[in-house]
Amino acid sequence: MVLKVSDVSAFYGKKQILKDISFPEIPQGSLVGLLGPNASGKSTLMRCISGEKKCQGTIEFKGQNINETSQKLWYDVVATMPQTPPSPTALTPTELMWSTARSLALPLSDKDLARKIETIFDNLGLRSFELSPLQSLSGGKRQLVGLALALIRDPELLLLDEPTAALDLQWRMIVLDWVKKRVEETQTIAVAALHDLDMAARFCNILVLINEGEIVAVGPPEEVLTTGNIAHVYHVETELGLSQRGNLQIDVIGPIASRG
Amino acid sequence: MELISPLIIMNNTSSLYVNFLRLNGRRYLILAGLSIALLASLWLDLIAGPAGLSAGQILSGLLDPETLELRYRIILWDVRLPDALIALAVGGALGLSGIETQTVLDNPLASPFTLGISSAAVLGASFAIIVEPVIPFVPSYAILPTLALCGALASSAIVLVVVRVSKGSRGMVVLFGIAMFFLCDALASGFHLIADADAAQQIVFWAIGNLTKAGWLEVTIVSLCLLLIFPFSMRQVWVLTLLRGGEDHARSTGVNIAGLRTWVIVRASILAAFAVCFVGTIGFVGLVGPHIARMLLGEDHRTLLPGSILCGALILSLASALSKTLIPGVIVPVGILTAVVGVPMFLSLLFKKKGQF
Repeated sequence: MVLKVSDVSAFYGKKQILKDISFPEIPQGSLVGLLGPNASGKSTLMRCISGEKKCQGTIEFKGQNINETSQKLWYDVVATMPQTPPSPTALTPTELMWSTARSLALPLSDKDLARKIETIFDNLGLRSFELSPLQSLSGGKRQLVGLALALIRDPELLLLDEPTAALDLQWRMIVLDWVKKRVEETQTIAVAALHDLDMAARFCNILVLINEGEIVAVGPPEEVLTTGNIAHVYHVETELGLSQRGNLQIDVIGPIASRG
Repeated sequence: MELISPLIIMNNTSSLYVNFLRLNGRRYLILAGLSIALLASLWLDLIAGPAGLSAGQILSGLLDPETLELRYRIILWDVRLPDALIALAVGGALGLSGIETQTVLDNPLASPFTLGISSAAVLGASFAIIVEPVIPFVPSYAILPTLALCGALASSAIVLVVVRVSKGSRGMVVLFGIAMFFLCDALASGFHLIADADAAQQIVFWAIGNLTKAGWLEVTIVSLCLLLIFPFSMRQVWVLTLLRGGEDHARSTGVNIAGLRTWVIVRASILAAFAVCFVGTIGFVGLVGPHIARMLLGEDHRTLLPGSILCGALILSLASALSKTLIPGVIVPVGILTAVVGVPMFLSLLFKKKGQF
């Protein structure tokens, strides 16, 4: 069960957003961190993999090519947690989960579906909000509901577009730690677009760094997050070190003046 | 947290399931309550009127028409019953049309009216009243509704083109609907300028909306329209509910949003066009009926769609009963009273919910 991405190009109108993106096969059990500044093409690449956006090139998962697979089959194994959390309406998390499961025609009885929603809510600390209107929940809690929605399908490929943007420090840790454990236990794959380099280094096995629609580096965190790569992509000068616990620490010294 | 009921563990049924079932049960009870209220209001509407028919006479006349003398039989069966039933059909159609439009455009102000459908119907009706055209195969009494329907359907068709061209952008649709509204309104005003006093009054009367011109044919057409479209709406309840969680989420679940918008606007337009073409622009029902239903029932469209039909029908039916009793001997146009009935209902719920809905 591997993810293959090769020669992927994507356009918005005539503007090329992704230029021949390729990276080595991603093995099962991996949490992949997709890094890059704003407008680097992270979200577009996510949308190509999720099947939301048409692209050129090859995207394969479990030996199935996205262009040769029906949308229904692809959405059965691939689930996305979008960047925006669910809207603050009077809808409750349970109703949203239920209608999502039923729209996807998941083959579950009412009782089994309820049990499944319950388990997911337990894992994400949402049980006490199961029947509270979304508009009464904080942005962070709604983002967790967004994650819960992606998990209802038991995806084999989980795509997370900035999953921690609205979360406070505690839930950032909990969510990434939980996704990592889930990926290892179920031997599936998760790809997360992230802004936070420290978190990415800490939780992801593979990092993909892209800039202006092109791959800059792919590999384990210590190979990708070098002062040179960071300077090239983010235009900041950094010093790398290890914390007392052995985690990679990125000390940002300051911006580098534009080199023209 | 430690206090997990042993009963739940024994049954191996999740407490979430129990809570969810309880919530749904409560909503079905509210639907039942609304249905009872609707029957009561239908009864009030039937006994209201200047002919001096007693409630007992009406009941026996409904069960066995032969018990009434001919004069009363005609009043009950050819005047009151079709008037009362068209109120239900039109109110229900506008309620369903409104709730689906609001959900799919994610706009609390959306209704068949913001799509420009009603003003196009007024334009068609104004044309019919002033120009008095002759259309082959259409009897003269049917020309006004036919032209109103054509106007409404034509404006819906243009809105649909906009949905397709803008790839389902909801902002575009709402703005375009409002532009259509002003355009049709301006053109209709042009007709009013050249109308003589009699025709002008006829137009105003039609534009306010009234139920008294409806007969069994109109009742049948609007009811059939509602009954045929309702199952299609119910088939999409899950997708409509999940759309309330936001467009991004719906898209990531594989929902074709542009396609969904197209179908909903087709359904909502047909409903609104047929509802409005016989009785005039009964404003407000398509906007407030859905909101009242939303406040009573929440966002699950399984109960919200039927609830919105019931609320729309209830408002119009109450307004119809009131229109015959408010000033003895005078029938106030129902279009005036829908707002009079609807606003207090709406405001009381709004304050009860402290503006949260």
